[in-house]
Amino acid sequence: MTLPILSQDHPTQKPPFRAGGAALMLTLTLAAILAGPSGARAQSGAYLPPEVGSEEPSFTPLPAPSLNFYGVPGIIDMPSGETMPDGQYTTTLAHFGGQTRLTLSFQATPWMGISFRYHGIAHYNLYGFNTYYDRNFDVRFRLLQESQYLPQVTMGLQDFSGTGLFGAEYFVASKTIRTPAVWGSARDGGKLLVSGGIGWGRLGSYHNIGSFGNRPAYDGSANFGGKPSYDQWFRGPYALFGGLEWRPNDRLGFKVEYSSDAYTVETQKTSVFDKKSPFNFGVEYQWTQSSRLGLYYMYGNEIGASIQVQLNPRQPLTLLQQKAPMPISPRSDWAGPPEAWTTDWVESADYRLGLRDLVAEELKASGLVLESLELTGTTAELRYRNPRYTPQAAAVGRAARALAASLPPSVETFRLVPVSNGMALSAVILRRSDLEALEYAPEAVAGLEAVMGLADAAAAPGPEAMEGPDLYPDFSWSISQYFAPSYFDPSRPVRLDVGADLRLTYLPAPGWRISTKLRQRVWGNVKDGRPSNSVLPHVRTDQNLYAQHGSTIENLYVARQWRPGRNFYARVTAGYLESMYGGLSAELLWKPVGSWLGFGIEGNYVIQRDYDQLFDFRDYKVFTAHTSAYADLGGGYEAQLDVGRYLAGDRGATFSLDRTFANGWSVGGFFTLTNVSSADFGEGSFDKGIRFRIPLNWMLGTPSRSGMGLVIRPVQRDGGQRVDVPGRLYDQVREAHLKGLEAGWARVWE
Amino acid sequence: MGEGLGMNGTRIWALLLAAGLALAGCSGGNEAAPMQLEIARATKGLVGQMVQGRKSASGQAELSRAQLEAIGMPISEVSAERRDLKAYLFLAEAHRDETPGLIEVWMTGDQLATVTTRDGLLIATRGLGGDLLSSAVPQAPEGGPQSGALEQRIHYGDNRERGLALSCEVADLGPASIEILGNQHATRHLRQSCEGAGGQVINEYWRDPRDGTIWQSRQWAGPYVGYLGLRRVTK
Repeated sequence: MTLPILSQDHPTQKPPFRAGGAALMLTLTLAAILAGPSGARAQSGAYLPPEVGSEEPSFTPLPAPSLNFYGVPGIIDMPSGETMPDGQYTTTLAHFGGQTRLTLSFQATPWMGISFRYHGIAHYNLYGFNTYYDRNFDVRFRLLQESQYLPQVTMGLQDFSGTGLFGAEYFVASKTIRTPAVWGSARDGGKLLVSGGIGWGRLGSYHNIGSFGNRPAYDGSANFGGKPSYDQWFRGPYALFGGLEWRPNDRLGFKVEYSSDAYTVETQKTSVFDKKSPFNFGVEYQWTQSSRLGLYYMYGNEIGASIQVQLNPRQPLTLLQQKAPMPISPRSDWAGPPEAWTTDWVESADYRLGLRDLVAEELKASGLVLESLELTGTTAELRYRNPRYTPQAAAVGRAARALAASLPPSVETFRLVPVSNGMALSAVILRRSDLEALEYAPEAVAGLEAVMGLADAAAAPGPEAMEGPDLYPDFSWSISQYFAPSYFDPSRPVRLDVGADLRLTYLPAPGWRISTKLRQRVWGNVKDGRPSNSVLPHVRTDQNLYAQHGSTIENLYVARQWRPGRNFYARVTAGYLESMYGGLSAELLWKPVGSWLGFGIEGNYVIQRDYDQLFDFRDYKVFTAHTSAYADLGGGYEAQLDVGRYLAGDRGATFSLDRTFANGWSVGGFFTLTNVSSADFGEGSFDKGIRFRIPLNWMLGTPSRSGMGLVIRPVQRDGGQRVDVPGRLYDQVREAHLKGLEAGWARVWE
Repeated sequence: MGEGLGMNGTRIWALLLAAGLALAGCSGGNEAAPMQLEIARATKGLVGQMVQGRKSASGQAELSRAQLEAIGMPISEVSAERRDLKAYLFLAEAHRDETPGLIEVWMTGDQLATVTTRDGLLIATRGLGGDLLSSAVPQAPEGGPQSGALEQRIHYGDNRERGLALSCEVADLGPASIEILGNQHATRHLRQSCEGAGGQVINEYWRDPRDGTIWQSRQWAGPYVGYLGLRRVTK
């Protein structure tokens, strides 16, 4: 139980690009604000559902299963056999009898759901804890889908690693029975859900009907938690549980259940609450499209309450609405017959500069920045920055339109090169006549994809290329507020710092970047966090010491990015890389544009920065290095393996798996195993965590590349930690390669 | 369905957040603004809307035929039923491609949204949110709607396109005389009833039998946009 923190300030490998970092609280608040069908943008016309009773086809999903106190599909305290829709991302806050549970769940695949829970028990008064906090992971597998006669069946493992205090395993079946809709509209009619199951562990603790094998007790002295407790699974006494949920309409739900959880520790070893009955009762109300409120009478003595917020990456809170593009006017309508299209204009440098200015204006109107334009009589190569659109395909479409609207008719071939920090990512090749022919074709999106060409871009623009007008040196700045939370301190679950950031960025020439972020804290209590008890070098656990200082240089560095050769990308960064480390970082990535696989190497020589985060360093110096393999597994699943040496000098490997969506949503997890023993690592045994990113375009409905990213580690320790270097290469590159372009291609005409 | 309930909650939350973001910040240059700043700006926008109150949805003043004709461009009136919005759109582009029928792109005066038709049949929208990306519409050889398969492709939430296939029957409801801003048109009233994707759609057209002009129509633009009403004011 030591200084458990997390931070979005050092996300492992995969920082959400441009995601400054945001508090979980802010995420939830915004979700609550924007969740309603009456979100203010709806007034301005973003999306209104059809009239109730309309016969129109609809893409709005039917109401999802409701969630139980553990934040998984279920009744009240018991699970049900239901499965969430694919990709569903839910947050549940539930409280009864001194117990508070905050659960994040994600339906990672159509058949597997995972959950992370933070659990607080007040008046625990055991083992030296007044209020006891615990973090646990669940996993659920769908075994059977509901059919006309058969129920849906789920197998679940609750709190399957860690202390196992909430450990339970179960099989549960649920069957839906249609009922008439009453007291309100029901798109799918009323329904009664009947559930029954068998549970072990906690769910086998009340009136067990038998026992299977031996369930060893959790031994806190020999176990640092964090490892799957498979020797306990489906062992020991088992008991039956069940319940009913009646949803007479789309808003209301009534629940009753018989619980097989005896709450032995909470009611017998100590007295967290009084349990007088195994029966629970509840009523729930769908407050907004994504949030549901519940009120319950629990165990014959307690009042309970819950809030369930359900989001889905495929169902934006606000539909994306962006300015319509100008239609493409075919050359045959304004330029006469093709025989008359001359290339004489190429000879005039002034004329070409005029064209460049025209294209730059058109790009600017779409939020893009012209880096360079190279014209021959029949071809154009446009290099541009995309600060606005999440899918690169949307920027490709706008860039192609800008060329079609500006260039003389003889230019037929467009090479569109997205550029990130001066580094060319790929070349999308489109024929102007295809754009003219396909814009309003019945299958415009697929049609253009079929004739699109993709190639590796040349390292630098050609000698005849015209640089963007007055682009370099390019200076940008911003002032914004920040929220920096820290979680899971046993004495205070959430700590928070707030203040302001000043960012300054200077780009002297393509590929060069000088950047800094200065931070002034206005208020915060992260500094009151617990001191580290780590026996390893304190490479991450001195966060409270760093938090003593309120005026800091978060980073200050010079970076250079370039293309050393075909399929290769390179970066060197020097300076104060992040709040805890400064030094030199170099990275090389190999990633062909059409490949699903990429490889990279990275080396960092870093020195730990002084706690005041100004210019001084401490004594700790370390060389870390990793080789990485990146695999796009298809369907949005991305895997990454990093093998090498970490900040504490430990050696090992990190495996991570993320599910990403084309609008910028991603949810994933990672773990790192190194040669540090469980005992030396401390609580949790090894480094692991979950991370997610919610894009702003999904919440606000305006095009944007920003998102709120968060990495949550159950425990922040010193083993398996990496330095957080700004601007790692793979995420910049991936989105402009074949898989990334394909994923968001539907937006190419918008 | 309980809009009022959500509204109070939404306003209070938004105002609270706005108060918290009093230090909203600012930026300059070509780099994308930080995420915190984008949120602050969006929140300001929300609050601004609330302070101003619900904008009158059909804000556009009624224009007379003389005023519209003075513009000198073809004009259509387009209304979005679900949003109670009505606007006059100008013809931004007209051309033909390999598929039969004249493509006409109608654009709002502020150039934020377009509605595209092929011989008067709706084939695309842009800038509305949840747009109709493209569609294959069944057309009669002499122009106008026909029975057959109507396939729409819709921008779906995850930046993907989602297909929607409908099977349609056209019925001729006989002659009908309609009035559009003072002008009378003798038309035939055609009704296209479509089924598929778990629902029903009814498109209606008022077509001039002489030159094939569809003077007025009510057409479905997909599950997010809903029905659009189109009336051709000037040719």
